[in-house]
Amino acid sequence: MRRLSRWAGAALVLALLGACSPGTGVDRGLSKDGSGVVAAIAGEPDQLDPHRTSAYFSFQVLENTFDTLVEPGEDLVMRPGLAERWKVSEDRLTWTFTLRKGVTWHDGSTFGADDVVYSYRRIIDEKLGNAWRFDGVKDISAPDDSTVVLKLDKPVYNLLSRIGGHKGLAIVNKRNVESGKIKTRPLGTGPFSFDDYNPGESIRLKANSRWWGGAPKIPSLTFRFIPEPTTALADLEAGEINWTDNIPPQQVERVSQNEDLELDSAVGNDYWYLAANQDRRPFDDPRVRKAIAYGIDRKAVVQATQYGNATVNQLAIPKTNPWYAAYSPYSHNTRRAAKLLAAAGVRDLKIDMLVTKEYPETVITGQVIASQLEKIGITVQPREVDFATWLDKQGKGEFDMLMLGWLGNLDAEDFYYAQHHSDGDFNFQKYSSPEVDRLLEAGQKETGKKARKDRYAEAARKIADDASYVYLYNPDVVQAWAPQLENYKVRSDGAVRFRDVRLAD
Amino acid sequence: MSARPFSAWSHLLRRPVSAAGLGVVVLLLTLALLGPQLAPYGPNAVDVTRALQPPSMEHWFGTDDLGRDVLSRVVLAARVSLQVSLISVSIALVVGVVLGLVVGYFRGWADTVIMRVVDVVFAFPIMLLAIAIVAVLGPGVTTATVAIGVVYVPVFARVTRASALALREEPYVRAAAAIGAGPLRIIRAHVLPNVSAPVIVQTSLSLAFAILSEAALSFLGLGVQPPQPSWGRMLFDGKGFTDAWWMSVFPGLAIFVTVLAFNLVGDGLRDVLDPRRRSAMESRRDR
Repeated sequence: MRRLSRWAGAALVLALLGACSPGTGVDRGLSKDGSGVVAAIAGEPDQLDPHRTSAYFSFQVLENTFDTLVEPGEDLVMRPGLAERWKVSEDRLTWTFTLRKGVTWHDGSTFGADDVVYSYRRIIDEKLGNAWRFDGVKDISAPDDSTVVLKLDKPVYNLLSRIGGHKGLAIVNKRNVESGKIKTRPLGTGPFSFDDYNPGESIRLKANSRWWGGAPKIPSLTFRFIPEPTTALADLEAGEINWTDNIPPQQVERVSQNEDLELDSAVGNDYWYLAANQDRRPFDDPRVRKAIAYGIDRKAVVQATQYGNATVNQLAIPKTNPWYAAYSPYSHNTRRAAKLLAAAGVRDLKIDMLVTKEYPETVITGQVIASQLEKIGITVQPREVDFATWLDKQGKGEFDMLMLGWLGNLDAEDFYYAQHHSDGDFNFQKYSSPEVDRLLEAGQKETGKKARKDRYAEAARKIADDASYVYLYNPDVVQAWAPQLENYKVRSDGAVRFRDVRLAD
Repeated sequence: MSARPFSAWSHLLRRPVSAAGLGVVVLLLTLALLGPQLAPYGPNAVDVTRALQPPSMEHWFGTDDLGRDVLSRVVLAARVSLQVSLISVSIALVVGVVLGLVVGYFRGWADTVIMRVVDVVFAFPIMLLAIAIVAVLGPGVTTATVAIGVVYVPVFARVTRASALALREEPYVRAAAAIGAGPLRIIRAHVLPNVSAPVIVQTSLSLAFAILSEAALSFLGLGVQPPQPSWGRMLFDGKGFTDAWWMSVFPGLAIFVTVLAFNLVGDGLRDVLDPRRRSAMESRRDR
């Protein structure tokens, strides 16, 4: 999910996909038979290798082409995927997965336990972004063609959500990887197979009639890239697309009243935050970061960016998640903020804030908090760059403050470890607290749910107290589609699945 | 030479259309200078509880999606818009005129080399080149100013060179050389004053285009950075709000009026500074 997070922002905002409307689809060379679904997503995947991409847009597509051993159901509990069942040894150090029989790759070749071992070894050996998910795994083996055994050197409570939580852990095809084609023509085992890629325009998938979960009921699924929300919505209203998650927030209410469209939302597990660079003065002083936390009015931020389609939050995990813990130390209190700044001896602070148009909420928030923090004598100067530059600057630490969202997190560990542990891969704000490190590590070792939840809740409180991130809100997952598109469900984890969708007439 | 601008001004003011253009330009300069005093609200005062209000007595131009007063933002954007266009055109003017004078007067290999480079730059669509420059230098007011300045250099270089080429063959220039005047003196005293008419006209027209270019760059997020108000950026912000027409219409009108005003002044200047046209005008009037 970490990787997802970057794009998360965009994603949150809206995603819609459209069922197809015959006629218009033909004009654009999409859905040539006129019976597929056309979904508009807000951006183009950077690449289609599930192990290497971190873009939300990639995962929106790949959700439908790849499988994982286990996968989250609607209640976010892990269910069988490519693995039909699994068992855990008494000491919780050996996990044995039994694979489904008769599963084939999209090219017709047979899927087997070797593919699982290859995929996991690739992530671990090449130190890919998700390698951390295998912390504690010391051996992966395939004793026979339909059995995979994971041996651990310490119990990992959330192993299932680690390997099934998202498609970055997809089982990939060795030949597809080694030929390099996976970046542009991925070969999976999922409900839809890759058909055609029209760069800058769309990706077309076609139904995999041999999928183990049953053949999809739509013949094809096309993802069109429409960054502009108003355009995506207009296309949906005109019947050019059948689904989108790219809905202008200010239009959500109007769309929900439009009887010709379906709109639904779920409380999302995504969250948006501000992070100040603790490698730079004066942001190394927690009082300065706390002053920012007190100086901003989250309600105004939510109103401006999401038109109320979000919940203000002071920790990452939303109420609907089983790992939620209540804690909200910050109120909007300019006097307190000013006092903290004075105590830190900071005057005339200028903040260089990285924002990117790819995630318009960052640009809007930049302006809102610039106005709010002006009252405590802080000048926020938003710097708008394209997202590739944004990622580069984040990686090199060339910022005072930035805003972004994390998307797709499920387990408590997902929300905190990589972001706030001193060695966390995504700890770009350079937060370092021995106490938080200890708690996060303890959380990984706990096997009882209650004790585990307590560890993470304590870590989260400390993170909020130190304002490692200044949390802003959890946006709703809002999606809209044409009524002909039946059986589509908005998921709180933001996964966009078309496997069960039907088209009326 | 001092007599000519004077008479040019009076000629210009006698033309109602040009006078109107000039009036608007003066008004814009006033807004730019006194903007902070004239604007009824702070341009960046966010108040989401007052978002998207239509024009009223309180907010003449309505409020935007963050509850900011559109009138105040339009007024304050005049400053940055004029600032970018004036500075960028000044860059283009100085660099272009110097290049044009030097290569036009001396000719030789420098002429060939420099003018081919100018041709290459000229061959790019202006916006495309400006966007490329900003992409390399990074977005912001300063880089946008530099980018717009650079892309307008060729126009000035060509206009100046063309005049200088003709002037260097004039008897008085040859006479000056014959009595021993150095090239610098000749350029300063005899060539420069005589290229000023086309350059002045070009300046006025370029200011209009520079304002458009700044608006376009800011629209694309490459120029003025939010929250600082800019007409182009306001258009961008307004395009997601089809019901809140005031968010786009007023900044759009501001761009329209400004560009029109500079164009009218430029057209007028061209007419009064061009001896042939001026005599045509005068004969018409005398009739």
